[in-house]
Amino acid sequence: MTESTLFLITFILYILAAFFYFAYLFSRKETLAGIGYKFAIVGLIMHSVALVLRTIESGHAPFTNMYESLSFLAWSAVMAYVIIEGKFKIRKAGPYFMLIVIGLMALASSPLMPKEATPLIPALQSYWLWLHVSVTLIGEAFFAIGFITSILYLVADSREKNRGTGKPGLTSEQFDAVSYKCIAVGFPLFTLGGLVFGMVWAYNAWGRYWSWDPKETWSLITWFVFALYLHTRIVMGWKGRRSAFIAVLGFLAALFTYFGVNYLLSGLHSYA
Amino acid sequence: MKSFIAFFSSVKLAIVLLIIITIASILGTLIPQHRSTAEYAARYGQLSTLLIRLEISKLYQAWWFISLLFLFSLNIVICTLTRLSPKLKRALAPSLEKEKKKLLSLKITANFSKNKDLETTAERIQKELELKRYKVKENRHENNIFLLGRKRMLGLFGSDIVHFGLLIIILGGIVSGLGGFRTDLTFNEGQTIPVPQADFKLRLDKFETEFYPNGAVRDWKSTLSVIEDGTKLFEKTIEVNHPLSYKGFVFYQSGYGYNWENPTLHLRIKKDTDPSYSMQVKMKVGETVKLEDENMDITAMRFVPDFIIGENNRVATRSMNPNNPAVLIGGHREGEAVFSAWAFAKYPDFGQMHSSQDHDLKFEFEDFEAAQYSGIQAARDPGVNFVWVGCGFLMFGLCIAFFWPPREIKLVLEESNGKTNIAAGGIATKNREDFQAEFENMIQSLRRSK
Repeated sequence: MTESTLFLITFILYILAAFFYFAYLFSRKETLAGIGYKFAIVGLIMHSVALVLRTIESGHAPFTNMYESLSFLAWSAVMAYVIIEGKFKIRKAGPYFMLIVIGLMALASSPLMPKEATPLIPALQSYWLWLHVSVTLIGEAFFAIGFITSILYLVADSREKNRGTGKPGLTSEQFDAVSYKCIAVGFPLFTLGGLVFGMVWAYNAWGRYWSWDPKETWSLITWFVFALYLHTRIVMGWKGRRSAFIAVLGFLAALFTYFGVNYLLSGLHSYA
Repeated sequence: MKSFIAFFSSVKLAIVLLIIITIASILGTLIPQHRSTAEYAARYGQLSTLLIRLEISKLYQAWWFISLLFLFSLNIVICTLTRLSPKLKRALAPSLEKEKKKLLSLKITANFSKNKDLETTAERIQKELELKRYKVKENRHENNIFLLGRKRMLGLFGSDIVHFGLLIIILGGIVSGLGGFRTDLTFNEGQTIPVPQADFKLRLDKFETEFYPNGAVRDWKSTLSVIEDGTKLFEKTIEVNHPLSYKGFVFYQSGYGYNWENPTLHLRIKKDTDPSYSMQVKMKVGETVKLEDENMDITAMRFVPDFIIGENNRVATRSMNPNNPAVLIGGHREGEAVFSAWAFAKYPDFGQMHSSQDHDLKFEFEDFEAAQYSGIQAARDPGVNFVWVGCGFLMFGLCIAFFWPPREIKLVLEESNGKTNIAAGGIATKNREDFQAEFENMIQSLRRSK
């Protein structure tokens, strides 16, 4: 089986997972969420195989152009979600989260993204490519779950204010706690992959560890926003709405670092 | 001084500064940096003078941005130091709780009694705590025993270690900014260049470009020799991502280009009237070949790598890259000019505009050979090691801040009527849910034990 067939199968499995999660959301049958979760896991396994095949076919890390990097981001996101849901049972986040994953997969398979594996330009031929990109994207995947749970917090919070708790599922307070835990995992990963490994690689390839290139600057901005989240929360005791709001902003900054910088600003990181 | 410290020890100040620095950084990515005055004028009109005066055109090096970073660093130092001493005291000289009431006002508590004497109960509790890897301290007072179990106390200092790492990184940035030096060197093969500000020389022994089968560049490789006091010390082949380090200098493969001073041109001469006629000549600019049958001297008069008609209709080159290589060919018969014409490597059918009745020659510019030069960046960055050490502290601090949460359990044991009353309280600033589970687990096990 080729990588593109496996990618398609993965895509279909993710769509099925989303379908069952939404069915759960409307019917409130726990078993449906369980089926969704299982589809997500099978999809994740297929996706892993697809990525390995891609690596063998191209002979380099599976994130050197937009198609590959979107596919890898979707993979990281599902992996992070499978872990977090397994641990904290945040089923209600499932439908929305799978929607984001489907969005990433759809973007990756859109005709705008060239899919052929191209040989690596000299600057990308380094094992730092593996370390820098994979760790950063996995960190961002945790930010993505933090984003969804923060939004679910905001929704649950305003509903509880109106009607009080009583519906099944997590309370707003639990969403707030899960959101913090995702950021507590995502922040060190993002710092290590995005900033530290990025600086080491930049020093090896370009001769300077920091150039204020737009992508570097936006990584730093993302880092600042999450630093703000942590300080307001831990030192100043902010929780709930204000905290959730900063988590949403932080994810948007990460998203802009990933997509926006490439298309809207020019700089050294012009490949992916 | 006191109000100075009070001002800079505020976390609110840190947050305000962080927000301002973030907004300024965003501004710097929206407004292109380090462009010419003319470019700003064309882009922003009236605003451009303001942008340049406020140094927004070089925002990250602007005095006000550096000042913000300085204030922020000062803020980090003072915030960290003022919070450090209570934490140190808590870690190194912990107080054993003596008041039961105070203990039971904590968020995680338990209060129960055992039908055992004081000593046995204390021993049993100590064992339970040690089983969960708590280090236990004991204090006795009259007929009370005070116990303190603690673990992962290093976790208290996670944020301090992160801040310390950040400060070292910032220090590294300052050292790089003040003591750093970088320059671009261009080497032809065989050329030796003294490294500026250093006491050694570099020689490029070999430069090669490797290609993928599809023609894209795979790598540039420069074999460099380090020469000191006239003797070659060693050689190393550098490529992108694999620089050479020597005496605090690092040499990077940063670019390449063609040396257009003396290219060899491959021309093919054809005749309109005789399709079977085809002759290849290789020549350099200024050289002449004689076509015996035509009694004609053919001279390569000029070469440009990137042909363009510039100002005053003069031929010029747009760049030093071979985007549109062209050669000017002149024909002379007995010293008299017969024709002159440009031949283009990429447009073989173009450029026959000067053909005349006097000859029917056609020239095709087939290929060229030019030496390539290697662009090498020499950099000395004394700040970089600070940055790596700072990054180490940063990551270590983050790991223990998030994944090494300190835990403390305090107990007061008092004996009355043959029974021992136990009051316990737990303190955890992070991961409280997990701690609560562990705490309740231990209390359960203590209650059940005989």
